[in-house]
Amino acid sequence: MPWLVADVLLYCADYSQEFVRVDKKILIVDDSPSQVRLMQDLLVHEGYRPVGLSDPHKVEETITNERPCVILLDVVMPDRNGFQLCRELKNNAEFRGIPVILVTSKGTASDKFWGQQQGADDYITKPFTREELLRAVRRFA
Amino acid sequence: MGAGSSLRDTNVVILTDENDFARLLTARWQGERQLPALTVLNGELWKRQQRPSCDLVVIGPLRDANLGGILHTLDSVAGVILCVQGDPRELGELRARYPRLVHIPLREDWAQTLLLVAGESLRRTEALRRARQSQCEASENAYHATLGRYMLEMRHSVNNALTSVLGNAELLLLEPGQLSTQSLDQIKTMHSMALRINEIMQRFSSLASEIREAEKVSQAETEASPAGSPGRG
Repeated sequence: MPWLVADVLLYCADYSQEFVRVDKKILIVDDSPSQVRLMQDLLVHEGYRPVGLSDPHKVEETITNERPCVILLDVVMPDRNGFQLCRELKNNAEFRGIPVILVTSKGTASDKFWGQQQGADDYITKPFTREELLRAVRRFA
Repeated sequence: MGAGSSLRDTNVVILTDENDFARLLTARWQGERQLPALTVLNGELWKRQQRPSCDLVVIGPLRDANLGGILHTLDSVAGVILCVQGDPRELGELRARYPRLVHIPLREDWAQTLLLVAGESLRRTEALRRARQSQCEASENAYHATLGRYMLEMRHSVNNALTSVLGNAELLLLEPGQLSTQSLDQIKTMHSMALRINEIMQRFSSLASEIREAEKVSQAETEASPAGSPGRG
């Protein structure tokens, strides 16, 4: 039976464990819908394609469906905090290549250190300016 | 008097009708390194005037032998009562009613004994006063600490709210053509004020870290200092 092109691509992706990311697509995870909306608006203005998510339990599912090239991740969230989520993503062979930027109001040196220990690629402290957000995103997308 | 405690803020009333007694006692007290505020009153003055509150009363020889009546008037105004006159048996009975009454027998060394007992009593009074003051200060500090902790906990919420204010203001400023000059100025003001609040919050955060660091240093110094050595300053 002949293979379809999509099957071949899927096979290649599985084989290399390489996650195919969609250019300029940014996943924003924050339990506050207004914060999600704000970051979406700021990124859309710069030509990005942001996807907002307020439920941290649906992160893996959304990543699989949307294939973002960067994840903006809030730290303080109910049930599943950003540190924990970041650690789990970085321990997952399928998702570990996606850069994670922690976005949080916890701005102490120890918080930043702890974020790095969880494998975060960058760290933005709230409140951030538009320029700070874009500077962090542009590093990866 | 021993070093390390001051009796300058304590008051002593010498209640006697004998001038020599008052003069001798005052002179002996003035020879000491620390002197409380001394007031000498005779029996008549004590009865007539409004009684001042004091930390210690010394009852010397009085014409009116009604010691019970005098002690009754002293009970509410004096801390400790030292009595050098009176029948020991009567004083023993009165002591059951007035536990702060101490009898100093009129022996050869009575003045020395009286000064020693008075000194210790006044130091105890002073220590109690300082303890009460420290307790008040500690309670006030605990109140401020609670407020400070609350503010630190609220920092997260304030920063989240600020992110929205700052971000939305920036979004509006991205398209200035759509706004009137007045609206544009107002949004610019909101934006700069949000930045100002952010600055204040950051200063508050760095102050909190500085205090924490200073506490760590102070604790380390306390732990490093040899046990039992008195602190300086």
